[in-house]
Amino acid sequence: MTAPSSTPALQQQVTLLELVDRVLNKGVVLTGDVTLSVAGVDLVYVGLRVLLTSVATLERLDRESR
Amino acid sequence: MSAAASAQGDDAAAYYVYGVVARGDGADAFDGVVGLDQAHEILLIEGRDVAAVASEVTLGEFGDDVLTSNLRDPLWLEEKVRAHDRVLAAAVERVTVVPFRFGTIYRSLDHVRKMLDERADLERTLERLRGAVELGVKGFLSRDAVRDRLAAEHGLDGEKPASGREYMLRRSLERDLDDAVQRLAAELADDNHERLTGAAEAAIANPVRAADEQPEERMFLNGAYLVRVDREDGFRAAVASLDSTDARYEVTGPWPAYNFAEPSEDDA
Repeated sequence: MTAPSSTPALQQQVTLLELVDRVLNKGVVLTGDVTLSVAGVDLVYVGLRVLLTSVATLERLDRESR
Repeated sequence: MSAAASAQGDDAAAYYVYGVVARGDGADAFDGVVGLDQAHEILLIEGRDVAAVASEVTLGEFGDDVLTSNLRDPLWLEEKVRAHDRVLAAAVERVTVVPFRFGTIYRSLDHVRKMLDERADLERTLERLRGAVELGVKGFLSRDAVRDRLAAEHGLDGEKPASGREYMLRRSLERDLDDAVQRLAAELADDNHERLTGAAEAAIANPVRAADEQPEERMFLNGAYLVRVDREDGFRAAVASLDSTDARYEVTGPWPAYNFAEPSEDDA
């Protein structure tokens, strides 16, 4: 699963991205008792994804510049 | 009134639901697994036909007031997202689970049971997912590899152009490289997804990342495949046999079937 060219930190981000893509974006959606609105989770998902993707990009640029 | 008020306090219990299993299934699959708050162990809350995989959490951490701000804290969220998956991953390949999306919380055991009994489709989804896991496959196309191969095919193998004609040829290859990569990516995406779908029970092609996000490694496939546990070796062999001339593949999983958990038309 680990690509030899990746730093451990980057690899961890990629794995977190995989997780976030599933845990926050897939699975059965039910409205429980606590108002964690569908729109709320969607916004959190989009925000976190942008953050993770940019971290991965920064680490890649950093790696390439070395 | 005072009892009701204190039940709404920070220490009041709530139940976070990770997913459901068939009733009677997974009795020991979650033994010793702790939940999202690292303090409470997993419990199975039984409904008529299915049981919820759940753990106790407090409203002090997951109540309406605090949850919104907790969700904005990336460190809190990362920890909880990892924990959500850790719970389900503990049982993957041992018991069939319909995974829920992050953040399904009920205030009482009765509310959980009511939800289970109202959602008759969950049992049909369990049947559909029985004995299967999800595998993720990503495919990446190397821009450099495509460039080198095209250059070699045109007889350009040296580092430096040996003539003006070679120089012009290199320029035109470079100019057309984006198109060549784009064409190849589209071909590989369709062809590979089709071949992997043949080795799976169900398949979903998720969006790939934008082409300009990492131009030297073009993602052309971001698939999720529902694979029966006894066909997992065959599926991995199918991945290994995909065209890797200029491409590489990453397989992740086995995952709980997150991508196949929403009711399909057959379940309705």
